[in-house]
Amino acid sequence: MKASNPYLQDLTKGIVKENPVFVALLGMCPVLGVTAFIINGLGMGLAATAVLIASNLVVSLLRNYIPPQVRIPCFIVIIATFVTIIEMVLKAFQPVLYEALGVFVPLIVVNCVILGRAEAFASKKPVLRSLLDGIGMGIGFTLALVILSTVREVIGHGTILGPDPESTIHLFGTNFEPMALFAQPPGAFIALGLLLAIVNLIFKRFNIK
Amino acid sequence: MRDILRLSITLALVGILSASLLTYIHGVTAPIIAERQEAEYRQALELFFPDFDSFESEQQDGDYFDLIYDSSGNLIGIMSTIQQQGYDGYITYNLAVDGEGVILGLLIISHSETPGIGDIITTDSFKEQFIGKSYEDPITAGEDVDIVSGATVSTSAMISSVRRVAGVIAEKYLGQEKDIIDIAAIPDGIYQGSAPGLAGPLTVVVEVAGGVIVSIEVLEHSETPTYFIESYPLIPERIIAEQQLDVDTETGATLSAESIVDAVRAALSGALEEEGGGE
Repeated sequence: MKASNPYLQDLTKGIVKENPVFVALLGMCPVLGVTAFIINGLGMGLAATAVLIASNLVVSLLRNYIPPQVRIPCFIVIIATFVTIIEMVLKAFQPVLYEALGVFVPLIVVNCVILGRAEAFASKKPVLRSLLDGIGMGIGFTLALVILSTVREVIGHGTILGPDPESTIHLFGTNFEPMALFAQPPGAFIALGLLLAIVNLIFKRFNIK
Repeated sequence: MRDILRLSITLALVGILSASLLTYIHGVTAPIIAERQEAEYRQALELFFPDFDSFESEQQDGDYFDLIYDSSGNLIGIMSTIQQQGYDGYITYNLAVDGEGVILGLLIISHSETPGIGDIITTDSFKEQFIGKSYEDPITAGEDVDIVSGATVSTSAMISSVRRVAGVIAEKYLGQEKDIIDIAAIPDGIYQGSAPGLAGPLTVVVEVAGGVIVSIEVLEHSETPTYFIESYPLIPERIIAEQQLDVDTETGATLSAESIVDAVRAALSGALEEEGGGE
């Protein structure tokens, strides 16, 4: 992991080394809330990624024009604008996903991954690097959500690609009695805790710091 | 001073830009959303009413009823959109009833029941047990439909709600008037009657003296206690005050209130039948 190229580093650091969920533990609310099904986890990840890339881009573009005293309200308005756009687009073109994500779509506004990147990175760095940072962090966030939702869906529902009955694959047959706890919020905490332990173990083993 | 001006102008500019962008996107997506929702509803209508041609909407105490007509203008059924308090938040569903008052099916639109437990209400095996039932059937847990153990609250809420809506439709739109009971014709005495409640029968004792209802006591019930106090003793008081059964049941516990009224009706009509049988 010796990436001397700063651009490459901006892109890749969010995926593993500074993964917003597994390492920075940011944005836990959607992470725990929507990961009962892989489709929902992936949808949430992509929605947040789209907002993150767009807000990083705009914040970086405007970084020299926004006075530091009012930067937070400006960032929030910019983020909220993109979230509302995503919300309307989802409602128009992906109604099933929109219903499944529910209140977590508007809550992307206060997802600290996005505000965190705007504040810590995009408001100080040039446009291209901010864009790469947004893409990398978005991939890392989506990846974490997909991993967590895979664990939860397999254990908690015994399926993958649910809940739409047309695409659902029952891994253990339809008579399988799944461990419903994992489909519910306490199961999300337990699964996340176990995953964090595994990630830490791997990091230690391979000396990733 | 100049600083404050600069800050305000920046914030205002960001706000104006954001608002204009959103207005534009809203203008693009709003018609698509409206069209899609209407198409979805029409699809649901066609599922239950293949001959459907047009409909007429009515609203009744927070419930929505669409009267469905075929191409020659005959009323072929009613599609209702109902919000029912479930275990966790509201369950919104459509109940389709044909022109004879027979349930064609129900469609859960949205709910927030516990995943893996209460969401059993969305399964076909739960929904299908209502098909073919009518307002004349008991639609009561343990009699002709089943609650699901582990999801008692969610399933019994749905059962009570379907029973209520089927009754409302039969009464309001299909002309199935409930008999008006002539209280003055009831001989003095104490009468007992039951009606289906939320999770079991609700039994009342009604005392009639001199052609007037004197007292109404609930003997047994299995309503949710915290809600039940919203209806009892309020509903018996209303019945006694008005001396008729068509009282306003809009309380914090409308379902329980209607069960009380039905139980009183059962007691009084039982009394009249006894009387009639003796002659």
